[in-house]
Amino acid sequence: MGNIFDLLFVNPMTNLLLLIYDVLFHNYVLAIIVLTIIIRLITLPLTLKQQVSSMKMAAMQPQIKAIQEKYKNEPQKLSEEMRKVGFNPLGGCLPLVIQFPILIGLYNAITRTLAVTPFSLLELGKYIYGFLPNLSSLVPVNNVFLGVLDLGQPDKLFVIPILVIATTYFSTKLTTPPSTDAQTKQTNQMMSMMMPVMFGFFMLSAPAGLGIYWIVSNLIGIGQYYLMKPRLDLAKAQHAAVAGTTGSTPTTPQAPPKPKMPPPRSKVKHSTSARVAKPGSEKK
Amino acid sequence: MNRVSVRVLVATVAGALILSACGGGEVPPSAFPGLAVEGESAYLASNLHVYKFDALSGAEAWRFPATQDNANPHGPFSGVPLKFGDVIVIGGSTGSNGAYDRHLYAISDETGQEVWRFDPGEDGKEFVDSAVTDGKIIYAPNGNGSLYAIDPAQKENNQPKLIWKFSTGNRLWSKPLYADGKLYQGAFDHKLYAIDATSGKELWRFENATAPIAVQPALKDGVLYFGAFDSAFYAVNAADGKLKWKTPVDGWVWSNATMNDDSIFFGDVRGKLYALDLATGQRKWYYETHDSIKAQPVLDNNTLYVVSMDTNVYAFDLAGIKADASGKVDYAATKWRNDTLTRRLLSKPSLVEGMLLVPLFDSEIKAWALDANTGARKLQFPLPPPATATPGQ
Repeated sequence: MGNIFDLLFVNPMTNLLLLIYDVLFHNYVLAIIVLTIIIRLITLPLTLKQQVSSMKMAAMQPQIKAIQEKYKNEPQKLSEEMRKVGFNPLGGCLPLVIQFPILIGLYNAITRTLAVTPFSLLELGKYIYGFLPNLSSLVPVNNVFLGVLDLGQPDKLFVIPILVIATTYFSTKLTTPPSTDAQTKQTNQMMSMMMPVMFGFFMLSAPAGLGIYWIVSNLIGIGQYYLMKPRLDLAKAQHAAVAGTTGSTPTTPQAPPKPKMPPPRSKVKHSTSARVAKPGSEKK
Repeated sequence: MNRVSVRVLVATVAGALILSACGGGEVPPSAFPGLAVEGESAYLASNLHVYKFDALSGAEAWRFPATQDNANPHGPFSGVPLKFGDVIVIGGSTGSNGAYDRHLYAISDETGQEVWRFDPGEDGKEFVDSAVTDGKIIYAPNGNGSLYAIDPAQKENNQPKLIWKFSTGNRLWSKPLYADGKLYQGAFDHKLYAIDATSGKELWRFENATAPIAVQPALKDGVLYFGAFDSAFYAVNAADGKLKWKTPVDGWVWSNATMNDDSIFFGDVRGKLYALDLATGQRKWYYETHDSIKAQPVLDNNTLYVVSMDTNVYAFDLAGIKADASGKVDYAATKWRNDTLTRRLLSKPSLVEGMLLVPLFDSEIKAWALDANTGARKLQFPLPPPATATPGQ
């Protein structure tokens, strides 16, 4: 399994990173930045899909809660209704799951090319493509940044861990969809605090080069968020509107559902292009 | 399980996965073990300790440091311990997170206590490979790209006196070869240097390699033999550094070479063992293992012992080697193979009293002694704990 993962993800990225390093005047930090941008661009459609899906799920929370409340004793019906309104708990996870091996591959490629120990350099030697012989002349990569920071060593000045904490905090904060549910809100708050601390703690003993990757990756993630924000806001508005209309159904006394009348199909569509149902249309 | 719990669980697992994938979990060893045998005493540098033990019985005499002091950590240690009078000289190497110990230590052969240490200073880095000596001066290659010549008989600032320092353009991760008052040092700046051992002045440099040189050259009849990371093996005149021949191979060469009268043997990181003609560099045969060969092969009475990162120990009877038309030797050519050690093997074994002592890379068992004739396991170091008698038996 490890070999297949290496073959598909880590080895190509390792060689690509060295190629970029060669082109970019043997500047390893620049190479990390460029490769991270390339990977982020490749995974952009998945990121977008995942964030839109998260926003949808967040906007649908009141509607979902109402349905859960209404059908709490009818699991079969509950699942049917959830499906009808477009609830898909995996919708946000699946793109993330697909991105995961790519990001871990990138991370491993950086660790490998940094080759701070004799053993890691030996491992690197096995994965450099034979048809690119010039790459072997590039090792070991120049891991001194700005003449002071040794990318192969933990940052003794703590600048990198602090930047990792700060950028992870903002990145997590921005990309976590807002929630109206108190419990979810509390969980999100806890996660947005815990994640940066966890990564910052890790960086105290990890080579600074990995920290550069995290910082760059977080900054790109933050940039991506702002670039995608109009689209996310649109999706959020659409689904909030849909949720606002359909979500009131079970609890509004003036609008008792008519058991024999199935809900119109238009109300259960939840793609970004779905039309917003008109208020009160469920009565028709 | 509600959605919130699922989300927290997913996030936690994701975080754990990221961190474990990114270097968390078990701390991997990082330094190559090194084994030296003097008489019946074995000296083994293995991760955080240097051990002295009886090669025939496996009984431990001492370990250095006796206990690791977290406030003042030593090591990890790598390279072959150097016996220098009544001390053992070994350098600190690089830990798995890149932090390193930049000291060269002298340990009492008798007690295992530190006798002196040499600190190359603020710009000093790890000592990945061993120091060598001419009997009086110690020559130690450092990861900062400098070769240090120190005289332990003279002290300066409470440490052995620095006689000279020779600086190259990149890391020195292999020991130099000392011969006839000269040192031959491979460097990560792609060059092989010849240095006058007395003055520390450069005599010549070989610049034909296009990638780092991380091996100690072998010398025979005025010719130096060594491989490099440019996947090539070189023969160079020791007098003037002129290229005699060059043979391409499949992968980086990070294994010192071993010779007999007409052939030279070494491995590459893609797992191939090569036999080249000493005079011409023509490939005579090759054998494929399943992982990198880092360790120098050992030759004894026409038997070639090779260890591979594929965890196997191979023995070849050179008299019976038969290659196919492409030069490939198949498994049947091995005299024996031991596949029971189950740990990656990166360091040169040593022969002692009919046993092949094999250092292990990432294991609680630091070394195995195999029967050199059959490959059967005979002894482990450290010795297994004595079986405790069950009450009533």
